[in-house]
Amino acid sequence: MSQVAVEAPPKGGFSFDLCRRNGMLSKKGVPPPSYRKTGTTIVGLIFQDGVILGADTRATEGPIVCDKNCEKIHYMAPNIYCCGAGTAADTEAVTDMVSSQLQLHRYHTGRESRVVTALTLLKSHLFKYQGHVQAALVLGGVDANGPHLHTIYPHGSTDTLPFATMGSGSLAAMSVFESKYREGLTKEEGIKLVCEAICSGIFNDLGSGSNVDVCVITKGQKEYLRNHQLPNPRTYVSSKRFSFPKKTEVLLTRITPLKEMVEVIGGGDIMEE
Amino acid sequence: MDLGKVNLDAPHSMGTTIIGVTYNGGVVLGADSRTSTGVYVANRASDKITQLTDNVFVCRSGSAADSQIVSDYVRYFLHQHTIQLGQPATVKVAANLVRLLAYNNKNMLQTGMIVGGWDKYEGGKIYGVPLGGTIIEQPFSIGGSGSSYLYGFFDQAWKEGMTKDEAEQLVVKAVSLAIARDGASGGVVRTVIINSEGVTRNFYPGDKLPLWHEELEPHNSLLDILNSTSPEPMNI
Amino acid sequence: MTKQQANWSPYDNNGGSCVAIAGADYCVMAADTRMSSGYNILTREYSKICKLADKAVMASSGFQADVNALQKQLAAKHLTYQHQHNKQMSCPAMAQLLSNTLYYKRFFPYYAFNVLGGLDSEGKGCVFTYDAVGSYERVGYSSQGSGSTLIMPFLDNQLKSPSPLLLPAQDAVTPLSESEAVDLVKTVFASATERDIYTGDKLEIVVLNAGGIHREYMELRKD
Repeated sequence: MSQVAVEAPPKGGFSFDLCRRNGMLSKKGVPPPSYRKTGTTIVGLIFQDGVILGADTRATEGPIVCDKNCEKIHYMAPNIYCCGAGTAADTEAVTDMVSSQLQLHRYHTGRESRVVTALTLLKSHLFKYQGHVQAALVLGGVDANGPHLHTIYPHGSTDTLPFATMGSGSLAAMSVFESKYREGLTKEEGIKLVCEAICSGIFNDLGSGSNVDVCVITKGQKEYLRNHQLPNPRTYVSSKRFSFPKKTEVLLTRITPLKEMVEVIGGGDIMEE
Repeated sequence: MDLGKVNLDAPHSMGTTIIGVTYNGGVVLGADSRTSTGVYVANRASDKITQLTDNVFVCRSGSAADSQIVSDYVRYFLHQHTIQLGQPATVKVAANLVRLLAYNNKNMLQTGMIVGGWDKYEGGKIYGVPLGGTIIEQPFSIGGSGSSYLYGFFDQAWKEGMTKDEAEQLVVKAVSLAIARDGASGGVVRTVIINSEGVTRNFYPGDKLPLWHEELEPHNSLLDILNSTSPEPMNI
Repeated sequence: MTKQQANWSPYDNNGGSCVAIAGADYCVMAADTRMSSGYNILTREYSKICKLADKAVMASSGFQADVNALQKQLAAKHLTYQHQHNKQMSCPAMAQLLSNTLYYKRFFPYYAFNVLGGLDSEGKGCVFTYDAVGSYERVGYSSQGSGSTLIMPFLDNQLKSPSPLLLPAQDAVTPLSESEAVDLVKTVFASATERDIYTGDKLEIVVLNAGGIHREYMELRKD
């Protein structure tokens, strides 16, 4: 029997044309667009009356610093904050989304949000996307059950720890925690240790830099210490003022009124009923 | 090794040693506490023995994310089941739920588990649920990367009708043996004992474990030695 | 037999930026002293500036192992030259030698991005800028390395003559005084360090003029 099956154009459904185009482009060596990544140092620890979170403030795109003073400690609930590392858009989107869900949940229940609720919402979203939502998080807060600190990895796994670090500077920061953390730190000692861990990331990891942000959460209150330390001021300012004298030379000015460009081609059919 | 190439993007996996052993009154579960991303130890004190119901626990190995999601679902289903039944779920039901999820989603999951617990019908039971979603009822089960060092040891050391203490000592010894040889296992040893009387959790710190062939005595961190005021700080 | 593919690279990029500015009677060379690999800092005090002859200084970024091999090769060639001619090599001669040395390894290049600066036979500042395989050009100022994309447009804006098509051709050297050039170099490095993660720690400035070679340092951000 001769082949009679004719390839009919598919009706409806999804179009995967762009997948083929993207595949062809990447085969020809056109790189996909780069994302803003927060090569980051973020940390958190539990102290005697709550949780302290810390973060650097550098955002990078490849080797270029694209934001020298960004905020990486995100609001989740009045008693819960979350540090984000990874692709900036993902950490921002996932924390915003979950904080909205928590707000609605609070309206619904009339109770303070719990850290495990935030944890479960975050991990189930990240697990669903199988690591493609590139958000590595340090989640901390104080709720009815006391202080809690968790780390959440992009694939959706979570850990519960007394001290935690994340991001490209996590190894530098963890070395500080592993040598100096102990149980029952006071608030001042805790802030000092968090700052030291963040600074270790700032100075030893190229993906981290600029300033130190700290957030202290205790039972019933929190302190967001934006730019708690500024260890990297500009090192040289010229006494001379620079001028930028060379302007783009205007060679010709011609203004074409837009209406002259409109060309009316025939008259359409008269609408009938 | 190039420390600049530490891959923190790698999914979290628990290169693990997990063990479940039956004894004459119940079961003993055991696990190490290392969770790693590539060569970096992301958590040195993790708890891989997760509670499913009052009387059933599960030891998790493989991808941390996958095994957490599976045990979260199973716990949820078992809670419903317990309410509907009006009595505790059996170990067999728990193990079959784990198997159901592991088998139906075998393309998505990279996790092997050991379910262990006690119920009034069958007493202490251990079920192994390895990678593809098979279920095997066993008198003892070992899993994770460290288990390859333990097959021979268990063939030799496991005995029918051990006492609780014998079984627990066997588990602690086996996990410490695996920690000594398997680079992906480490940290502390955690055990859970489940029998008709309830649940006992035990914790064996890494520096209190028995030392095996060519292992060195633990000593103070160099930082402690430098900070101490002894006359010869470098004389370790 | 299956084809094997190398899963390692003989090259690394150790980052860093270099700048050179030539004036009427001086030449300013500058480079930061950070050496890094990936997101790690290997050292904060590594000099990228190398004196090749009395009036020829090279600043190099890229792969410092290759830079080191290149410097050694040039030093050996220069020693031979001194034995044969009983004098130091001039800067333009060194420029040609550097080009030849780079091109010699055309198909397994030195992963080195160089600027050569010094004084020519008339005592005028000169700067030569290179690619990795030996293409070179005499210019009034240049920048190479990880921060060059940030530095070069600023130098162009401040130093480039009105139009390259103006006749008669303008002198290659910049109109700045020596102290103005040093000030400009400090500014561009402080700025590049703000935005380039591979530039930082310390700035090394080498000034060549009739009085000889002088060196000074300035602190940069260390994050």
